[in-house]
Amino acid sequence: MSEERGGGGRGRGGKKDDKGKGEGRPRGGFFRRRRVCKFCADKIDYINYKDVRLLSPFIPERGKIQPRRISGTCAKHQRALQIAIARARQLALIPYVTD
Amino acid sequence: MSQTRQYELVYIVSPDASEQAVADLHTQIEQIVQRFNGTLDKTENWGRRKLAYEIGHAREGTYVVETITGTGELMKEIDRRLRVTDTVIRHMTVRIDEDIRVAERLRTQRKSTQARRRTARGLPPEPQPSERRGDRDSDDADDMIMEGAEGR
Repeated sequence: MSEERGGGGRGRGGKKDDKGKGEGRPRGGFFRRRRVCKFCADKIDYINYKDVRLLSPFIPERGKIQPRRISGTCAKHQRALQIAIARARQLALIPYVTD
Repeated sequence: MSQTRQYELVYIVSPDASEQAVADLHTQIEQIVQRFNGTLDKTENWGRRKLAYEIGHAREGTYVVETITGTGELMKEIDRRLRVTDTVIRHMTVRIDEDIRVAERLRTQRKSTQARRRTARGLPPEPQPSERRGDRDSDDADDMIMEGAEGR
């Protein structure tokens, strides 16, 4: 719990630390920002548009693409993700809109 | 003049079409590929799958994924043919050779960087199974908290 690795570990134990600038949203304290890009962390080189399970965490109920500031995806991978989602939508693997 | 490239073709066959019709369509595409001196590298039939939204009046469809190596003219012809085929409700061609190359380069790059750093620290270049870091769990737990907040 007290053991925090350099760089990556801002997990459950990081309540008391106040060094980060991007974290600690004013309201909704339970909402913890995810700092690491999923694709960088998992070392995914190619975001496959056919892999719905890979894309689905980035598409909340409404069907819109989750913004980078919430998902924590890096710019490079967000761009690739956009393309992958657009392709998957065309193939009716994921919806354009859901209400 | 025209270059050989690798493409991925995905098409969705209407749910009204029989298994035989799907097979026929596949042989048709195979013939076109042969006629243009291309090669059909891989075929994947996902079977019947529910669509995320209605296309025409179809709610589900049979997905077929084909990996084809050939020229742009070949893909153009396949595209034209699929366009006029009524049983195909949707199709898409994506060029993949470039993406594969990029992914490969990234992988080798990462490997060599890792090896260099590890040797600099006096470790064997390949990570040993025993020194696997157990940081995955906390990450995933974080994920679940986030999804819970989003999903309501």
